[in-house]
Amino acid sequence: MRLTGKVVVITGAARGIGRATALACAAEGADLVLLDVCGDLPGVPYPLGSASQLEHTAALCRDRGASVLTAKADVRDTASVRGAVALAGDRYGRIDAVVNNAGIAAPSGKTVHEITEDEWSLMLDVDLSGAWRVIREVGRSMSEQRSGSIVNIASTAGLVGYRHFAGYVAAKHGLVGLTKAAALDLAPMRVRVNAVCPGNVRDAPDAEGRMLREIARALDVPAEEHVAAFTQSQPMNRLVEPEDVAGAVVFLASDDSAQVTGSVLTVDGGFTAH
Amino acid sequence: MFPGARCHALRVRLATAVRAEALTGPANSPLWVEDVPASSTEPIARRRLAVEIGRHTTDLRCTLLRYRDGLADLVLVADRGFLDAAGLRAVAAALTGASPAEPPAVFARAEVAPVAEAGLPDWAAAHGVVDAGAVELVLPPEEAGDADSWRTALAIALVRYDSVDSPGWAVVGTDRGALRVTPGTAPEPTGEPAAAGLLVSDVDFGADEYRPCLAPPLPLTFSVWRQDGTTRLRCDHRSGRLSPAQVEQFTRHLAHVHRQVRANPGLAPDEVELLDAVERDRVAALGVPDRPLDTTPTTIDAAFRAVAARTPERVALTDGQVRWTYRELDERAGAVAAGLRALGVSDGDRVGVCLERTAELVVVLLGVLKAGGTYVPTDPAYPADRLAHTARDADLRLVVTRLPEFPATGATSAVTPDEVVAAGSEPFTTATTPDDAAYVIYTSGSTGRPKGVVVPHRNVIALVDATRPEYRLAPSDVWTLFHSSAFDFSVWEIWGCLLTGGRLVVVPYSVSRDPLALRDLLAAERVTVLSQTPSALAQLLDVRHEDLAVRLVVLGGEPLDARVLLPWFDAHPESACRVVNMFGITETTVHVTHQTVTRREALAGSRSVGPALPGWHLYVVDPQGRLVPPGVAGEVWVGGAGVAEGYLAKDELTAQRFTADPARPGGRVYRSGDLGRLRPDGALEHLGRIDSQVKVRGFRIELDEIRAVLLEDPVVRAAAVVVRRDDPRDAATTRIDAYVVLAEGAPRETSGVRGRAAAILPDYMVPSTVTALDALPLTTNGKLDAAKLPPPVVTAKPVDAPTGDDDLAARLREVWGAVLGVPVGLDDDFFELGGNSLFAVRIGARMREGGLPPLHLRELYRHPTIRSVVAAIGNQDN
Repeated sequence: MRLTGKVVVITGAARGIGRATALACAAEGADLVLLDVCGDLPGVPYPLGSASQLEHTAALCRDRGASVLTAKADVRDTASVRGAVALAGDRYGRIDAVVNNAGIAAPSGKTVHEITEDEWSLMLDVDLSGAWRVIREVGRSMSEQRSGSIVNIASTAGLVGYRHFAGYVAAKHGLVGLTKAAALDLAPMRVRVNAVCPGNVRDAPDAEGRMLREIARALDVPAEEHVAAFTQSQPMNRLVEPEDVAGAVVFLASDDSAQVTGSVLTVDGGFTAH
Repeated sequence: MFPGARCHALRVRLATAVRAEALTGPANSPLWVEDVPASSTEPIARRRLAVEIGRHTTDLRCTLLRYRDGLADLVLVADRGFLDAAGLRAVAAALTGASPAEPPAVFARAEVAPVAEAGLPDWAAAHGVVDAGAVELVLPPEEAGDADSWRTALAIALVRYDSVDSPGWAVVGTDRGALRVTPGTAPEPTGEPAAAGLLVSDVDFGADEYRPCLAPPLPLTFSVWRQDGTTRLRCDHRSGRLSPAQVEQFTRHLAHVHRQVRANPGLAPDEVELLDAVERDRVAALGVPDRPLDTTPTTIDAAFRAVAARTPERVALTDGQVRWTYRELDERAGAVAAGLRALGVSDGDRVGVCLERTAELVVVLLGVLKAGGTYVPTDPAYPADRLAHTARDADLRLVVTRLPEFPATGATSAVTPDEVVAAGSEPFTTATTPDDAAYVIYTSGSTGRPKGVVVPHRNVIALVDATRPEYRLAPSDVWTLFHSSAFDFSVWEIWGCLLTGGRLVVVPYSVSRDPLALRDLLAAERVTVLSQTPSALAQLLDVRHEDLAVRLVVLGGEPLDARVLLPWFDAHPESACRVVNMFGITETTVHVTHQTVTRREALAGSRSVGPALPGWHLYVVDPQGRLVPPGVAGEVWVGGAGVAEGYLAKDELTAQRFTADPARPGGRVYRSGDLGRLRPDGALEHLGRIDSQVKVRGFRIELDEIRAVLLEDPVVRAAAVVVRRDDPRDAATTRIDAYVVLAEGAPRETSGVRGRAAAILPDYMVPSTVTALDALPLTTNGKLDAAKLPPPVVTAKPVDAPTGDDDLAARLREVWGAVLGVPVGLDDDFFELGGNSLFAVRIGARMREGGLPPLHLRELYRHPTIRSVVAAIGNQDN
């Protein structure tokens, strides 16, 4: 097991990639601090992860032998993030890895000049600043212990543009930039920072993900059509599974990637290879 | 300090609920409750417990792991400075209700003191990297002792494991800081780095599981506590290049030492037994090779006759144009033998042989043996004084030589080989037995003068029989005779070849010093078995060597840095040519151990010289002559088929160095004076000489002998001799530096001192530099403080008269300076500046690269200054 004895904090752990990542880490022997906003945000046009979904993720991880703490945390709120990190410290004494997975896909679907001030701010606050707030809270203790791995879940939207997703694309490009800059800042303290850029991830029922559905809705197309188009756009001609992303995260969280930092690992079926 | 190094932990197995409300006051820690989806015996439960008990904290953490089978584990982890063992136990008692009392109000609150770390002890070091781990021994309750007894025992064990270098005390790291522990006296606080950590708890933890540290504060940390009606002794080690087996062994010996300390608190470290009888037998057997020796004692000449009878027409000996078959060699040696008998040689007589390395040399050596005599080889290149000493010491009546004037004493007469053969050809018989001496070879000794080692026939036969099957020595082999007959590597070359039916190719001295010429000879003669010192092989690696037919390289004569072999392997893969490193001693008949060296050993920088040859065996002992545990450094003693008879006419020294075999009644061992350690697999790691004896470019040198010669000079009041290597990776930069204190009124010029020493010592023992000092630096013990000796004064003469070709001279000065690493004047002697054959080869190569005229090595020997080289090159041009 590659993560035995390691403590991994995951944001947005209630469902989707967050849940798959939590399960993969549990299977590798990690102990987990699972965070989620556990509620809807004004301005986000779809339901976010619930407390029940977070508890279900935790239960699945405990079944795999992990020690799990759960907490409600909103990455827009410094005090909330700080409290969750402190709780992790009290219980486990250290944090070995952080997975900045919390993010929203919408409000989206508008041409760039039609985005409102609030929509823009919300998108950047969650998808970019949220990751920075977590890094700020764990950076000191990881630096002191001279070890740690931070994995930012970005997107292929952090590498290329998508029409009608200017806010999301800007935030994810920002997250890739944050990854590289933070990697340089923390490298002397042997803390690593990397990004994973998933392509189109299937809304797997077990993971309860709904990203693809929400993207389709933002573009105002039927979900089935959208899935077919996205499948074809990926050279491997299939959608990415949440477990595929989780596998990349486990690698980056583990000591197998001891010299990997500032890197951007795409898990996109070859989409950005074009 | 590693996370967890300051923490200890306690685990209490429970079948009942806990009183979480008991966690009040200073122990106001939350109780973390975890439901584990498994029964307490399942792997998941065990993993969760292991992780929980290893999770460090800065104060106190209480966790309850509840299992499906109704059992639970209360896990308490605390910083040892925050809460001591008694406090930990009190908190547990309060939580479980075992004690109605509140947890202690007073906590330890003593900062765990940081301790500087010494490196991992040599005996624990290994090549492979292992993860952190621990060994734990369960001892009877009466062995619990206390902090004092364990500190003493640990210090004694560390001192004894460091038997060669130990100052008699050890620095032990504790939570209160480092202590210098001298057995028999009170420990003193010290800032010195600690060799090992020690945590002793006097709390009885009953049925509960205690972990004294979650990570070892020092690379090796020992801890002692009481649990389950037993005493637990545990050693936690970190990850790294160490041997868990060695750690386990030391921990066992620590317990054994502690028992003795408890029984007799005043015991001196030297009186402690590390090994019990069973283990002594096991350790004694470790140095015995797996395969026994299959040998039939005979004499060398009889064995040769048998080979000659089998293959009379095979070529036995090649030397330039000379190609003699076994029959011819046998006949020629027979003629020498008859002549020697006619000159009065009878059975057991010693006959000096002082001949250049030629086919004739081999004939004469064999002839002496056939005549029933013992050959005493000397090198014609030796200074007259040394030759005379040998003749005197060996009481030689007859020396076979072509030197025009052998520096004979009154009793010795010199004859040429021709005169021997002409002296007579009457038939004769001898009654030599395998136990009679075959040769006496002189080797440097601590007495200040070389001493003769008497080696019987049976030893040489055993050497050949020990190596023949393993190395498939066969008539198809072609060997070199590369080494001086005065160096016993030649015994291996000559008899290893001729007693296995091979062909022996004589390498003349000039060729042996010229790698290009040697390469050509090896290729032309299709040599298959090449014996070399590592330094000499390194020279060969400087020239193109791909086209050689060598199938076996035997390295010996000096320590091997296996990394130098990588370019050899690139050209000669292990499947085509086997490289064997042999550790040997003249007193044990050339070789003792053998280690096949492959890329693996070369890359690992292995110091292993392998196990003993079949028939030979090894012990490693402490200064009291007791076997030391595997992995511990001590003096190497060699027993078995190779042990020589002793030193010629030096009964006292023989009795000192050749003593009773400690494990095999009736046997004898040679006390080598070499430092080594036996690995658990029976391979020996050779660690150099214990005394000042060193090897320089393959020559065994006794620094005391050089010093003695310097002190014989009337103007020298005091002298010190050291060996230095400017570049640790480059054997060619090894240099002997001498320091002298000159008599008052004597000129401050040391060239006369060096010149006198050069007339007495063989050239490889002449110091490269002689530096005059006002006084020798001494340690507080009054011993020479070699580290305080200044760099040697190398006198380059700054003002130079013109040479006639200033441009060439300038470029030569550049080349010489770059190679020798010192500024070079026109009249500086190459050898006085530290030059040697390796540097000569490099100078030749650089001159070629720089487009300068070619310079043969022998020209450099003849013209050892830049002025004379310029002149010589000028003459070539004309």
